[in-house]
Amino acid sequence: MAKKQKNVSKQKSSTSPSLFGLMQRYWGIITLLIVLTIVANALSVAVPRIIAGAIDTYAAGSFSLEKIIVEFLAVSVGIFVFTYLQNIAQVLASERVARDMRSDIMAKISVQPFSYIESVTPAKLLTNLTADVDAVKTFVSLAISSLVASAFLIGAVAVLLLLMDWKLGLVVLAIMPFLGATIFFVLSRVRKLFIKSQEAIDWLNKVISESILGAALIRLLASQNQEYEKFLAANTQAKRVSLKILGLFASLVPIITFLTNLATLAIVLMGGHFVIVGAMSLGNFTAFNSYLAILIFPIMIIGFMSNVIAQAQASYGRILLVLGAPIEKKTGGLKAKLRGDIEVKNVSLNFGEKAVLKDISFSLKAGSKTAIIGPTAAGKTQLLYLLTGILPASVGEIFFDGKKLNEYDKESLHSQVGFVFQDSALFNLSLRENIAFSNTVKDENLEKAIVTAELQDFVEQLPEKLGTIVSERGTSLSGGQKQRIMLARALALDPKVLLLDDFTARVDTNTEGKILSNITKNYPKLTLISVTQKISAIEHYDQIILLMEGELLAKGTHDQLISTCPEYVQIYQSQRSTNQI
Amino acid sequence: MNYSLTKTDFEKEKEKGVLFTAWKRLVPLMVEEKRAVTIAIVAILVSSAVTLVVPIIIARIIDVYIVSKNFQGVMTFSEILLVVFLVGLVSTYLQVKTLGGVGRRLLFNLRGKVFNKLQELPVAFFNQNKAGDLISRINNDTEKLNQFFAQALMQFIGNIVLILGTGIFLLAINLQLGLIALVPAVLALVATQLLSPWVKRTSLKSLQTLGSMSGEIQESINNFKVIVVFNRLGYFREKFRQANQLNYSASVSAGIASNVFNPIYGLASSLAQLVVLAIGILLISQGRFTIGLLVGFLLYVNSFYNPLRQLASVWPSLQLALAGLDRISQVLALESDLAPKPQETDCPLTEAESVLEFKNVFFQYVEGKDVLKDVNFKLDSGKTYALVGPTGGGKTTTASLMARLYDPSSGTVLLEGKDIRCWDPSERVKKIGFILQEPFLFTGTVRENILYGNGEYGEFSDEQFRQALEKMQLTKLLERFPDGLDTHIAVGGDAISLGQKQLIAFIRAALRSPDVLILDEATANIDTVTEKLLEEILKNLPAKTTKIIIAHRLNTIENADEIFFVNGGQVTNAGSMEQALDMLLHGKRQS
Repeated sequence: MAKKQKNVSKQKSSTSPSLFGLMQRYWGIITLLIVLTIVANALSVAVPRIIAGAIDTYAAGSFSLEKIIVEFLAVSVGIFVFTYLQNIAQVLASERVARDMRSDIMAKISVQPFSYIESVTPAKLLTNLTADVDAVKTFVSLAISSLVASAFLIGAVAVLLLLMDWKLGLVVLAIMPFLGATIFFVLSRVRKLFIKSQEAIDWLNKVISESILGAALIRLLASQNQEYEKFLAANTQAKRVSLKILGLFASLVPIITFLTNLATLAIVLMGGHFVIVGAMSLGNFTAFNSYLAILIFPIMIIGFMSNVIAQAQASYGRILLVLGAPIEKKTGGLKAKLRGDIEVKNVSLNFGEKAVLKDISFSLKAGSKTAIIGPTAAGKTQLLYLLTGILPASVGEIFFDGKKLNEYDKESLHSQVGFVFQDSALFNLSLRENIAFSNTVKDENLEKAIVTAELQDFVEQLPEKLGTIVSERGTSLSGGQKQRIMLARALALDPKVLLLDDFTARVDTNTEGKILSNITKNYPKLTLISVTQKISAIEHYDQIILLMEGELLAKGTHDQLISTCPEYVQIYQSQRSTNQI
Repeated sequence: MNYSLTKTDFEKEKEKGVLFTAWKRLVPLMVEEKRAVTIAIVAILVSSAVTLVVPIIIARIIDVYIVSKNFQGVMTFSEILLVVFLVGLVSTYLQVKTLGGVGRRLLFNLRGKVFNKLQELPVAFFNQNKAGDLISRINNDTEKLNQFFAQALMQFIGNIVLILGTGIFLLAINLQLGLIALVPAVLALVATQLLSPWVKRTSLKSLQTLGSMSGEIQESINNFKVIVVFNRLGYFREKFRQANQLNYSASVSAGIASNVFNPIYGLASSLAQLVVLAIGILLISQGRFTIGLLVGFLLYVNSFYNPLRQLASVWPSLQLALAGLDRISQVLALESDLAPKPQETDCPLTEAESVLEFKNVFFQYVEGKDVLKDVNFKLDSGKTYALVGPTGGGKTTTASLMARLYDPSSGTVLLEGKDIRCWDPSERVKKIGFILQEPFLFTGTVRENILYGNGEYGEFSDEQFRQALEKMQLTKLLERFPDGLDTHIAVGGDAISLGQKQLIAFIRAALRSPDVLILDEATANIDTVTEKLLEEILKNLPAKTTKIIIAHRLNTIENADEIFFVNGGQVTNAGSMEQALDMLLHGKRQS
């Protein structure tokens, strides 16, 4: 897995995320957005001109009230309409981008193999689908129009100022580079702190999450103080970073205001002088002041947007990584009915440097029963994953009925191989849909599966019977009940091959015995492969495979192993005394 | 006790006005910040005064000096202006710094309170509220508060002061013109009132669709292997597509609705300027107003409407923050019903003949459904007990009551003859060790996890600790981890198996050497050879250790001195192993 991640990070550096590439796909709506933004801002620039015009024409005695009112009203309504249209375009564009991106990511994930999800981790994919998509969405909805508007306003106002009075205009504009430099300097430092602050928040959230998930343990150990200390460290760090950010902002805001005020002062002094000597009209003098106010805002906006853009770039890069990940080669289209002969030939499985399974070979006949036993972390579960094809073998081949596993159509294979996972996964669906989970389940198969898994009493006592909605982490269900639902789900496929992963661990002996004999009775032709801890249940199996540290230590029947394999004997002895009762 | 968190009553209170609610909620939090708040208020007043006084000075410069062509006067007043600007520089800095500091410290304290409350509440609270919901509730709500305190609060208070100040100035300069200038603002407020039900409805819808879409995403990504193996990728993709599309439509409607305010306030601002301009010029022509005053007045109109506009844009974040604060207050208002009883009154010490005793214990998780019915038994010190019985029979519940994860609905649990409710928690947990069915590990190393909640080995050097582990025969178990004690554990990954987790939980409990050790299916996923090792370790625990083993694997309970059969909420002494087996094989499952 580590190796895979290395590859991933290598890809990261080679793909430069281009947000503009993304926008090309939405050129229609984005062009519209840009046009609307420019129109709305062009109109708002006109307002101070109208006011200046009114004051000047009044001073000159050629004042027309109606003309001013009509002009002003038209511009105001225009601003209203175009601003709103611009906002709507923003919403449409950003939501559309977000929707498409989410469905692209989900579509991509759904064609990826399980090993991909494992190596990238579900948590990361969730972040891609939520926080990362949101960051790009914010970029589309805020950054595009803000940047266009800011660039336009700065340009337009600069031109107007210079046209009105180039000397005063130059003085006012001279302050702008200082403003810009201050803003960018502070914000670039803020950005670094923002990353730190996000880390602190993540840390804080982790501490809180673990204190909730581990609530029972914490109460059993009365370790609340220890938890509080962890929390306090994280909380203090979060406060420290946010106070640092505050410090920067606390100096940024007044400096910006002060620099702007200096420009005002320049206007009053120089402009006042110009008006006194008659080089400038009073109306233009007031317009200068108004334009100054318009000019400051875009500069700040560009500064703030640089943060949004940086975040969106990083997020989009991560999304592209998911979208661009290579897809495992498509498996074959063989849709044959399985008999159930299985052969595993020299199979190894590596997670990065770590070998999980080493050169495993065994074969089994259709309709036979095989058990896989071995200590914790021997690779038993991974072997089952290989047999379903949700993990690919690093080396070696697996054959079903003499044909390579990857020649089969995956769907066809999965509909004939039932898998009972060790951990229970219940979906927020009705019990019926949770059991008849695959789309091909027939009613009689559902019934048979419920009976076999000894669930009928349980179903009977539910208020809505099979229609009851069971949810994730459903506290009303015991571990054994969940496990039996998992079994029924696999049996409802009417499978040819059934893989059980430590199924008996959470089911009591009495029920377990009944269920196992039910399976033999109701599914006589079933090929069974069972990962288990209990020798007593598998003594009569056709084959027992002993795994240790990823190696196949021994295979054979119980009688063979008991006379040849010391490790097996050791396991047997550890359970024997009970069996004799 | 009902710990379930339901809808807040924020909606109800909102009728009284958001500002009122905000005031009521935020003011009590600020009592400790009197000094900082005072400084901040002074700073806000000064910097607002600066903003307000500048247009007057400019108006005066125009009217008195520019019109009369007195440049000397312009110079003098420019100097005054410069001083005013410098005062503004200092006061704005103080305003941002102190007010921001108040906000951040508030958040810090609030988070601390919530966390403490979470630690106080009993396990029942966490069972009644889904962990996922709880986590997102607390993290999201504090995050919303964070955004509000860090960003919006400053703007918020500053803007309100500015709006009030400019409003007063407008009216003071010219009452008539001032009133007219405020009319568009009133119209905008009316429009806001009229439109907000629409905005609220659409945002709520959009939030709901967002929630169900995230639910879809989480469910299908977290259970990916199941979905793959059962050929359900297509089905879940379609479900997601629908949820995604629904969220899209709802978000677009919500966006169209909530974006209406900005243009409205913009329009109000332009209309106000228009009216002031038209009527101002009219007044000037009648000689009742001056050009300078008109220019100043227009500046005031701007500094009245700009903050109003900003206020309208931070309004939603105030509402979100208040709703978050409300949900957090709901958690804060919960009281634990598992507090230790006061020693003096209700704690008679009966004769301590047994280490643990259940006396007429009844228990129910939900009203009216007894999980334990009149349970009575005594456990002697140093013996090994086994609880057997079908799944769902009440074994884990019985064990949970022994460790006081819950209190009985009626009856008493006695630990060493004293009501378990009378024990100080830190004393109680030293006595009782409980290895849970679902082991929980913290992110960190194996060492950190096995020493979790255990102060005893804190001072030990590596070598001393290793010797202690060796003495308890725990070293061999650590060989199952690639880097031994330093193996890193990432929570949520599949990298560590269930069996390995159970091993760590076992070592953690054994190291504490409690008087009563409860193992609830604690070795279900551990292979039998390793399990033998664990048995050895258990045997070597001090002789007075009472062991309570819940298991269905018979070999794990074969060494028990006594066996209890737990079924249908009843706990009966099963006598010998044979009898227990018989009960297990033939006992009808009652649950």
